[in-house]
Amino acid sequence: MEQIFSESIWLVPCYALIGATLALMWSPGIIKKTGSRPAGYLNIAMTCVAFVHSVFALQEVWQQPVQEIRFPWLTAAGLYISFDIKISAVTVGALVLITGLNILAQIYAIGYMEMDWGWARFYALMSFFEAGLCGLALCNSLFFSYVFLELLTLATYLIVGFWFAQPLVVTGARDAFWTKRVGDLLLLIGIIALWSFTGTWNYDELAQWTEVANLKPITANLLCLALIAGPLAKCAQFPLQLWLDEAMEGPIPASMLRNSIVVATGAYVLIQLQPVLAQSDISNLFMLVIGSATAIGGSLIAIAQVDIKRTLSYSVSAYMGFVFIAVAIGANDAALLLILTHAVAMTLLYMSTGTIVISNITQNITLLGGVFSRRPLSGIAFLVGGAGLIAIPPFGGFWALLDLGNYLLEVEPILLGVMLVVDALTAFNLMRTFCLVFAGKPKAMTKRSAEVLWAMVVPMMILVGVSLHLPLIMQQFNLLPTWAKLDKSIALLLLGSSLLGISLAAILYLKDRKTKPVELVPTWIQQLLANDLYIQDIYRLTIVGLVSIVSRIISWCDRYIVDGVINSIGFGTLFSGQTLRYSNSGQSQFYFLSIVLGTILLGLMLALTFDVGFDFSKINFNTI
Amino acid sequence: MQMEYFLLLAAALFCIGIYGLISSRNAVRVLMSIELMLNAVNLNLMGFSNFLDPSAIKGQVFTVFVITVAAAEAAVGLAIVLAIYRNRQTIDMEQFNLLKW
Repeated sequence: MEQIFSESIWLVPCYALIGATLALMWSPGIIKKTGSRPAGYLNIAMTCVAFVHSVFALQEVWQQPVQEIRFPWLTAAGLYISFDIKISAVTVGALVLITGLNILAQIYAIGYMEMDWGWARFYALMSFFEAGLCGLALCNSLFFSYVFLELLTLATYLIVGFWFAQPLVVTGARDAFWTKRVGDLLLLIGIIALWSFTGTWNYDELAQWTEVANLKPITANLLCLALIAGPLAKCAQFPLQLWLDEAMEGPIPASMLRNSIVVATGAYVLIQLQPVLAQSDISNLFMLVIGSATAIGGSLIAIAQVDIKRTLSYSVSAYMGFVFIAVAIGANDAALLLILTHAVAMTLLYMSTGTIVISNITQNITLLGGVFSRRPLSGIAFLVGGAGLIAIPPFGGFWALLDLGNYLLEVEPILLGVMLVVDALTAFNLMRTFCLVFAGKPKAMTKRSAEVLWAMVVPMMILVGVSLHLPLIMQQFNLLPTWAKLDKSIALLLLGSSLLGISLAAILYLKDRKTKPVELVPTWIQQLLANDLYIQDIYRLTIVGLVSIVSRIISWCDRYIVDGVINSIGFGTLFSGQTLRYSNSGQSQFYFLSIVLGTILLGLMLALTFDVGFDFSKINFNTI
Repeated sequence: MQMEYFLLLAAALFCIGIYGLISSRNAVRVLMSIELMLNAVNLNLMGFSNFLDPSAIKGQVFTVFVITVAAAEAAVGLAIVLAIYRNRQTIDMEQFNLLKW
């Protein structure tokens, strides 16, 4: 069979890049007269092309051997860097997921960005994201993964800072850039150190190398910790999670994409690095600890939020924590499955919240309420998304968590408990958000809440369909864990934890109570969680404080010590000139004196340094 | 009569001349001190010429020249002093100070 589509798969990122470039023509400063809507339509068309291309390619590569394409990128004096592309069911499947969700997000943005002038910039950035993500999914080289991660970091900065006239957007974009940058930089250290041991950055060759690798434990530990640091920041894991919270200042279509896919880029790199990371026990332990801490902490923090976007953003951190756990125990397929189900479910949740926010203005869920009767579609979408995220059979998330749970039972049974707790907490959080937003009595902000434009509803409903069909799709592609191998009790436990969370939230929030559920926990715990464990203050006191003090000291040293030394030489010359001019006294007799003294001095010097050789005794003085 | 005495006398005269040159306030006395120094030089020239070069006596020729030039210089010097006096009505050396600090 002809492999036209899979062999030209590298075109997929290029479509988006072309779209991004062309979209900029409709910037308000360039095409001034006709508005910037064509930028959006063009990009949606390009994304559709990319989607169709990837679907056909997936058909071709399905159950085919993995292919690899290499382009030389740099050959210089013993260094050969090639751009490796891996064409497998996983990578092309990732392209389908990315482009598919991108189409939906971009169509959604037609409705969401209806009243916005910045379509050119917005769609250019969305397509740039798509290009970067597709490139990352395809590339089979750690080096180029890093390149794409950096591009996405920059793009995150730009898209979070989309409405840059708002002060919180500017600080949020700043934090998103720097936090991710720190992780990327540590990753770069790891990447460069890895080269000196392996001489290759190709993931497959790295995996082969690990079989013969013989590193000292300390080297392996440091190396693996550096490699983890990049995904740690990308996936918004503790303690680098604040940026994702602040990145909720951006437009919702971008948030939905970032929370579902962009955050998973770090996890994707982590999964591909798993063979290398398995070299070090400490790094695996580190991943387990970080993953569990983030999963539990993130889902607890999510419960204490009142901002509808932030209730979801911390769940993203929690689910990425699961991916960390999965990679730490070597369950790569479970991690990939988790990324897939999480991406679909989280996009759907964000789409649903976006429709609420656009028509009810407020994002504060305590001000929302009782919109289900008027907005059944959004409510159903939220329910389906939530069901897809937590473990409720037969939805997608159940299978991914089941798969992971099965691995955990064999390796670390205690982490199964963590998973159940997080699942229950997430279920509680989602149900709480649903009850506060959709159930209850309408409040002032939701008195009139009309369903939104078709452009937002249609992609949402398409995604509802996809979510509902996800188990079938997974079955079609043999992605479901084999039922026979599974421990059935885990399924029951997962279901039980989800039901527990849901019913608890329903009991607490559905009935109109005199005492608000928030009053059931001590205020300080509430404050602690609502303020994200005061992580902002911790940053400010530790890293930011330290860097700012050090930079002030250095700036002071530069200004006063380094500059001072040079300036003092200048001042010295000036001062000496000013002082020494008084030697020109204007008294001619003083000049005579200095001539005489000079002469005497010169004579003395000559007499002392040279033997003048004037011997008076040789002269006969008595001739007369 | 030895050469050293001549030389020492000349040196003493030169020193007195220098002292006068530097310490006097009267401009004419400064010129006189210069004459003293020139005379000290002449003594040196004559002493060397008599003791070391009695046959060719080149020093004496030099002395004649020095006396000539000294006379010319005294003439010019007195003329300058006179010119300054006409301008400033004084020949006090410490008044001829145009530099400002």
